[in-house]
Amino acid sequence: MRNHGNPDIRLIYADGDMKQARFQRHVIRLAILIAGLGLFVMIVRRGTAGYQGTPQALQWIEAGAGGLLPAELHFENALGKLGVLNTSGPIEMKGHPFFEPLGINPRGCITCHQPAHAMSVSVDALRERWRATKGEDPIFAAVDGSNNPKLPQALESSHSLLLNRGLFRVGLQWPPRDHHGKVVQPEFSIEVVRDPTGVNLDDTYGLKGVNPTVSVFRRPRPSANLKYVMSPDDVFNIKTGVLMATDPETGKPVSMNLMADARHLTLKQQAFGAYKDHQEGRQGALPREEIEKILAFENQVYVAQSFDRWGRSLVEAGGPIGLGPKAMAEGKVHVLANNNRDPVFRVFDAWKKPDAMPKDLSLEQREFRASVARGNDVFMFRQFWIRDAAHINSIGLGNPIKRTCATCHNTQMTGQDLAPGWVDVGTTNYPTWTEPPVFSDKAELPVFKCTCDKSAPPHPYLGRVIYTNDPGRALITGKCADIGSIVMGQFRGLAARAPYFSNGSAKNLRELVDFYDRRFDMKLSEQEKVDLVNFLSVL
Amino acid sequence: MKKALTILIVAIGLIFPDGTEATREDKPPANRRNFVACPIVRDTKTLPCWLAEYEGELYFLGLQGSSASEFYPPQLNHEVLVEGTVTNEPRICGGIPLRPVKISVITELNRACNTLLPAEDGREAPAAPARRFTDDMRKAGTETTQRDFTVPFDFDSDYLTFHTTRILSEAARIAKAVNAAKIEVLGYRATTWLSNGNRLMEAQTIAEKRAKKVGEILVGLGISASAVSVNWNPTPESCDGVTDPEKRRVTIRIMP
Ligand code: HEC
Ligand code: HEC
Repeated sequence: MRNHGNPDIRLIYADGDMKQARFQRHVIRLAILIAGLGLFVMIVRRGTAGYQGTPQALQWIEAGAGGLLPAELHFENALGKLGVLNTSGPIEMKGHPFFEPLGINPRGCITCHQPAHAMSVSVDALRERWRATKGEDPIFAAVDGSNNPKLPQALESSHSLLLNRGLFRVGLQWPPRDHHGKVVQPEFSIEVVRDPTGVNLDDTYGLKGVNPTVSVFRRPRPSANLKYVMSPDDVFNIKTGVLMATDPETGKPVSMNLMADARHLTLKQQAFGAYKDHQEGRQGALPREEIEKILAFENQVYVAQSFDRWGRSLVEAGGPIGLGPKAMAEGKVHVLANNNRDPVFRVFDAWKKPDAMPKDLSLEQREFRASVARGNDVFMFRQFWIRDAAHINSIGLGNPIKRTCATCHNTQMTGQDLAPGWVDVGTTNYPTWTEPPVFSDKAELPVFKCTCDKSAPPHPYLGRVIYTNDPGRALITGKCADIGSIVMGQFRGLAARAPYFSNGSAKNLRELVDFYDRRFDMKLSEQEKVDLVNFLSVL
Repeated sequence: MKKALTILIVAIGLIFPDGTEATREDKPPANRRNFVACPIVRDTKTLPCWLAEYEGELYFLGLQGSSASEFYPPQLNHEVLVEGTVTNEPRICGGIPLRPVKISVITELNRACNTLLPAEDGREAPAAPARRFTDDMRKAGTETTQRDFTVPFDFDSDYLTFHTTRILSEAARIAKAVNAAKIEVLGYRATTWLSNGNRLMEAQTIAEKRAKKVGEILVGLGISASAVSVNWNPTPESCDGVTDPEKRRVTIRIMP
């Protein structure tokens, strides 16, 4: 187990002088003894709960390091612990294509999809890596681990988007190609109006380069719990009223819920894309067996928060049934759960009565559990006016609709959308984005001005001139109405992978909740906000 | 109010230059309310109501529902085309109920459409229709005798809803079951006769867009492209102020 240190001990260190040092050492020894005893008691009490110490080496796994990834792991984070479950048993990382460098740079998939960070990566971990490796870690590779490959890579400022917001550069060709490789005639033109990184106006990498490219900056999405992400909806795509895209190999409809813009239809396409883009894999395609091994790994790994802040398991007899990685592994896919019978993250009733909880919980722990249960009710049932959200309000539901968070986040266990989940909830488009004004010095993200053709249907709520830092789905479809629509990702392991939203605009869960409060004028009380944050923190 | 109406009519004239000036007698039946206006949403203790005002009178259009509901509500930030028949039923949410009623969201933005009324005692919404979204609604039928299908559309729209996509699935299922030699797809463009006597014509290309979309989907559903013939009639259908919504359509005919 990682030693975070008891904050009280740290305080003694900070204030101590030489005279007190001896006394302090005693205190520390005593503290360690008590802590050790506590740990022993915890282990004994947990018995077969499967908790085990997590070796330091697994806190950050380097590509090619080898070793064994145990079947079950629990990693500490600021809000408790994250559980990771490999249902196929321990994974030998040596020679495994998910864990080995495959391309030209020394990155593996593992580099950006770390078990300790819910198979994504947190900004705190990125900063720590920068400090520990003086910026040499392959995760900072120029290609997409810096603001612009042409900037001096040794400077921290050249990686500010990754270090401040956890964002990787995603370069997408413009105009886009469809799934058969045919050029899509876009309904709008793109102009770069702000380019703090310089990459979009660059003559090699930019929109005017030989291969015109739009660079947007996005968070890595968890490569776990994927049976939910990949489960297909229907033959028709309810968002567009046309047929769902199909898997080129099987001809079967796909989920269209992968990546922030649903550009990849299958995990196979996605793995090829990641290999080419992030790992600069140019020495031919990945061999089939490597792809299959990557997919096999991805399809058996489950993550979810597993322990509370006080070190107590969130999975307890008679408690909520949707928590922890085992519940993720065992859950049913494709359950529409925006109802009160079997809600999105299942039932929290057991935590509604502090008196009915296990007797050995502290008052604080009980209050926390009660707050989580209330947060679930806010998420599921607290109504507000959902307004001007393209691909929700515009698909026949009406604008506005008086509904809840679970209207959009309706899929059981993950909180994604059962249908293809691209929605313009306002995270990347002016004026609802959380960005400084366009001409501010503090600006970090690019701003694009999209101007739509008169003949094309406009964006339903923003019209034909739209300022955005990520056009999202529209970069793939070329459709004006799709500008700023981002595919909602799963909610699991949130505590292990701040910041949030595809553009990293919410530093923590409180900022995420505040975004919604502003965006939809929800008028959440302070208690409701705290409850929502606590609720999201245990998922 | 009169002034706003005049502006509205002029605005409609600008958006739809095909609309022709009407004479006084030349109007749809008196019980029809066909008009373009900003929709109004009224909150209630339960589901919000959707209303629209015409010539100083408030009309009830329908309730908020789900994608499985019959009624798809209008959208603020957009005007709505209402085509409905006045009923003698008591007012709902303060509005005279129109039934049947067809509403179409006007594609272009109009930020003046922004009225959200708070809940008020005594203006309650009726109980929501019992229909809920169920997996059954996605299940295919079993009979194979139907040969003709009509796919309705909103004004100026080629968007297929949850319900209309089911019609295509059924047509494709039966065409495959009977091993159809030919499937004829025919797209139409319609006209709406407004209560003020003006005529609103759909966009010139809409019949073609609708027909091509339906044809492509049938092929995507597994019907051989060579069996599907896609045609459209760019001449707008005539209007009577009553059945106009039914003419915004694509027909599918299966020929075994
Ligand atoms: C340099 C960091 C990096 C590397 C290396 C990397 N990824 Fe990713 N991954 C990302 C980012 C960033 C996204 C989100 C991109 C987007 O939304 O457009 C992502 C998204 C994904 C997703 C989508 C999950 C979802 O729910 O949408 C999967 C699956 C995934 N990566 C798997 C892989 C695999 C497999 C590899 C190795 C072949 C890999 N990644 C290598 C950064 C990385
Ligand atoms: C109109 C649909 C809609 C509603 C309503 C909505 N969301 Fe979201 N949510 C989205 C979309 C779209 C995204 C992805 C946006 C992005 O990444 O930029 C998202 C993302 C999220 C995420 C994932 C963050 C991450 O980085 O993985 C969380 C958590 C979340 N929403 C919580 C909530 C809560 C809590 C509420 C209610 C207060 C809510 N949402 C209401 C559409 C919605």
